[in-house]
Amino acid sequence: MSAAWAMVRHRFASFAGTFVAVALGVAVLAASATLQLSSKPQAPARYDAAPLLVLPPETGTNDYGEPERPNWTPSEATDLAGKLTSLPGVTAAVPDPSFYIQRLIDGKATGDPQASRINGHAWSSAALGGYQLAAGRPPTKAGEVAAAGTTPGERIEVLTARGPETWTVTGTVIDNGHHAGFFVADSVAFARASGVPLIGLTLTGDDGWVAAAARALIGPAGVVLAGADRDQLEPGSVSRIRWIGAQLLIVLVALGAFATVFVVSSTCALSAAQRRRELGLLRAVGATPGQVRRMMYAETTLIALFAGVIGAPIGALFAPLLADPMVETGLEPPGFAATWQPLALAGAVLVGLFAALAGVVVAARRASRISPLDALRESAADPRPMPPSRWVTGIASAAAGGALLAVMPSLSNASKTTAGLGAAMLLITAAALLSPVLIVPIVRLLAAPWRNSATGMLVREGTLTGVRRVASTAAPVLATVGLTVLLTGMIATIEVASGIDEAAEYPVANLLVPLNTPGLSEAAVATQSGTSRLPTRVQVTVPTTTRGYDGAGLTGPESSPVGPAGGVGERPGSEAGAGAVLHADTAGELGVAAGATIALRFADGTRAELPVLAVDPNAEAPIVLPRALVRAHDPDALTDMVVLNGPATEAAGAESLPVATYVQREVDDEGRLVDLFLWAMISLSAGYTGIAVGNTLLMAVAARRAELRVLRLAGATRRQILGVLAAESLLAVGVGAVLGAAVAAISLLGIRAAVESELGQAVTLVIPWTAAAAVTTGCALIALVAAAVPTLHRPTGP
Amino acid sequence: MTTKSTHAVELRAVTRRYGAGERAVTALDAIDATFAAGTFTAVMGPSGSGKSTLLHCAAGLDRVTAGDVLIDGTPVAGLGERALTRLRRDRVGFVFQAFNLVPALTAAQNVALPMRLAGRRPAAGEVTAALAEVGLSGRAGHRPAELSGGQQQRVAIARALVTRPAVLFADEPTGALDATSGAEVLRLLRDAVDRHGRTVVMVTHDPYAAAHADRVLFLADGRVVDALSGPADAEHIAVRTARLEAARATGAAGDATSSGGRATGDAGRSTSDNDSAVTR
Ligand SMILES: Nc1ncnc2c1ncn2[C@@H]1O[C@H](COP(=O)(O)OP(=O)(O)O)[C@@H](O)[C@H]1O
Ligand SMILES: [Mg+2]
Repeated sequence: MSAAWAMVRHRFASFAGTFVAVALGVAVLAASATLQLSSKPQAPARYDAAPLLVLPPETGTNDYGEPERPNWTPSEATDLAGKLTSLPGVTAAVPDPSFYIQRLIDGKATGDPQASRINGHAWSSAALGGYQLAAGRPPTKAGEVAAAGTTPGERIEVLTARGPETWTVTGTVIDNGHHAGFFVADSVAFARASGVPLIGLTLTGDDGWVAAAARALIGPAGVVLAGADRDQLEPGSVSRIRWIGAQLLIVLVALGAFATVFVVSSTCALSAAQRRRELGLLRAVGATPGQVRRMMYAETTLIALFAGVIGAPIGALFAPLLADPMVETGLEPPGFAATWQPLALAGAVLVGLFAALAGVVVAARRASRISPLDALRESAADPRPMPPSRWVTGIASAAAGGALLAVMPSLSNASKTTAGLGAAMLLITAAALLSPVLIVPIVRLLAAPWRNSATGMLVREGTLTGVRRVASTAAPVLATVGLTVLLTGMIATIEVASGIDEAAEYPVANLLVPLNTPGLSEAAVATQSGTSRLPTRVQVTVPTTTRGYDGAGLTGPESSPVGPAGGVGERPGSEAGAGAVLHADTAGELGVAAGATIALRFADGTRAELPVLAVDPNAEAPIVLPRALVRAHDPDALTDMVVLNGPATEAAGAESLPVATYVQREVDDEGRLVDLFLWAMISLSAGYTGIAVGNTLLMAVAARRAELRVLRLAGATRRQILGVLAAESLLAVGVGAVLGAAVAAISLLGIRAAVESELGQAVTLVIPWTAAAAVTTGCALIALVAAAVPTLHRPTGP
Repeated sequence: MTTKSTHAVELRAVTRRYGAGERAVTALDAIDATFAAGTFTAVMGPSGSGKSTLLHCAAGLDRVTAGDVLIDGTPVAGLGERALTRLRRDRVGFVFQAFNLVPALTAAQNVALPMRLAGRRPAAGEVTAALAEVGLSGRAGHRPAELSGGQQQRVAIARALVTRPAVLFADEPTGALDATSGAEVLRLLRDAVDRHGRTVVMVTHDPYAAAHADRVLFLADGRVVDALSGPADAEHIAVRTARLEAARATGAAGDATSSGGRATGDAGRSTSDNDSAVTR
């Protein structure tokens, strides 16, 4: 509607808050979405020269919903590769067994621990990446290796699943900077890897044609991936990094959208209240309530689109600048770069538009109820600061937030933060909606000491008659203080609690844990006295079903493999009478009992039938097996840790720690990420608070010019007026801070109660006073500037 | 009484009460009045006598507590907010004492507003003609802030008349203007009746302004207490006003009305109900 455009042009000042909030929101959304869309799974560079990749068939999905593909045995893989090579257009079909290897320098494991799990390869697989030797010859027997960054003849120390070894370099690989890893003789790689997860094909023929021929040839024996499908093969370690990054981006998007709705709704409410007379006039000359409402939507649409068109490119420009910091903080894999994502920008503009429209809904509904006679009313006294709808939504939000807090302890750790954030948003919305009721008593309380001075009186009365205005200023402060205190407090409290919880799991005083390695080698474990489990993955087939389970090989003749409290007495047994102990849950799922026989497929693809020796509700893993059996069929398995029952023996890639230190370190590691998230969230919401507080005050002070002029005529000096305005602004910020802190404190107490009942132990409540104080001080400073600027700018008014 | 098409607006026993209980104020007390098409009526009375309330109720801007309002033969009572707004947009023009124009819009856009709100595109030259009619052809592109008070009122009149409403209500349209601008506004209202056959109802406390009307209704305490019809001069009206005020002051309203029994005239077709109210 053209009236909307005219309004927007004429009253840009009163739309500035919406504009800035939406522009910033869209910029944040655009940058986050650009980064997210740029972060795509990618087939490892090691397969750059292999247009077709063949995987073992899928047998089901694991607990995370990922496909379960048990590896081929070396002979299965070799047979299949032989068949594939015979296809016309195929140059070579290369089985690609991979194994754990890290280089040791001065006895210390180097490189990224997670990536090193698949860092060792068969020499023939070098062809899949198109790698060649710059010097020397390929490795042909045990103890020989070819790698980039080494020179033929050099002796290097490496750490493998077996332990530390010294190998001779036979060739220097040109890997085009791909960190292709270490290449050994094919037979060595087959022996060290736990089966073969992939066959790569190099071609001379057309990809599509050969892919179809390969599918026809092997049928259900394998899955042929071509083109973009190859990107499913991104290593899990890289996926995990990208997943963490995605979590942060999701949080930023959610918070950006929430803050936009929040700020837009408070500025729109204020501006509608200030435009009461004008809207009444429109009603008088014939605008229906629906037309008034639609006009406000139209205005907001214009502003939001304009802001979006400004904000989206800003976001797009910022995204590449954020790529490097994200890589450095471990939120994106190395080599990550932001790319041009027009969809992200369009999406951001659209979300910004919807957020703005969501923000204006309430104000528009209120505006449409303005009576034509309001055109005749000079003053914009607050009519009914608390309409019933506000009560209803306020109480409903409070109830929903409370409910979310109540169920939080029962949620998984991963969803706890999300639930906490959701609860925080709901409770803060509730407090903002209900704040007009609370403002009067809080203002009376806060202003009590100054009630006898002229300034004190003016401030108090001005605030009490303009409850809505104060509420608008207080709302963003409330949101930021509430969010800061609640989130930091919640996370700190949960951290303290989980520290207590985890420490309780390990009764022994010392642990042997990996040191910059993904796990402990066999050599490191063998020299220790203590207990450990060797984790593996097995597929279990019973007549009715096939399922994948985590298995554990248990060590130590002294330690009963079924656990001290098991009491079943039987252990998985020695090589001769090998058998499995099933956890009661596993047995239940499979429908088997002690004495039954189950068919197992091990990590290396070999199959075996084992008797179920016992079913144990306290088993240490879903399937407990003899350690030697696990080792035989999962040569590349690494031990997580050893619970020591004597002094530790030094070992490469391992260190000994007291339980408490280890737990603390785990918590801290997680804490580092959480802190990063928090920091991002708090700075984003603090930024929004700045905009909202500044804008609300600018609007409010500008609208009160007439009143201020009267004060001036009544003999108030400029300083006194500034004093009144400053005090009013500070009062509003104070109200917001008090309410925000109150909301946070109530929620934190709820969280603590929940955590305590779960742990059955008292938990200290961590309240981040410094964070709260810093945020409040920041808000107060912005408020002072925003209140002072319009008065200084136009000393006498129009 | 039957609805006659010659009545632009008709009030039947209209009562408007504000508030409830002890503090209730009866702004209009069972008023009957009719405003015939093509007439110019002035409503006078002391401050707080209910003049504005009468206008608001008659214009459908305010709801009545009891009684009926008919605008151009359509009863207002049963209408929803949207239908009422439409009725107002199509049949009623309104000029307030001040703040008649949307500050964001130019004079021409303000004039075109009712049509735009009705979803109609003004015919070519329609807005220009309306502005020319009030002598503001050169100001079409100006915003209210760039116009004088008198010019703003003239734009408001142009807007009120552009939709050819059944009736135009004006609440002290000259109250905030200097004498010259006021006279110009009154001339425009008079012209609207004489040249275009519009119906005008104007609240004023200025006898000079009231003298432009065909008929003058005097209000006191929410009732019509007197009426004068036929072109009356300002002096005559002033005398009548003074007498009413004096009578009110002494609490003898009956005396004051005795000489004003002739409430009906050729131009003002006041009803017999009105007469009884006056002569009671
Ligand atoms: N919105 C309102 N609320 C309460 N009382 C009102 C309202 N509007 C008018 N009144 C009262 O109704 C009476 C008539 O008012 P009004 O019609 O404005 O008088 P006039 O225009 O003749 O000065 C007065 O006593 C006034 O105080
Ligand atoms: Mg009045």
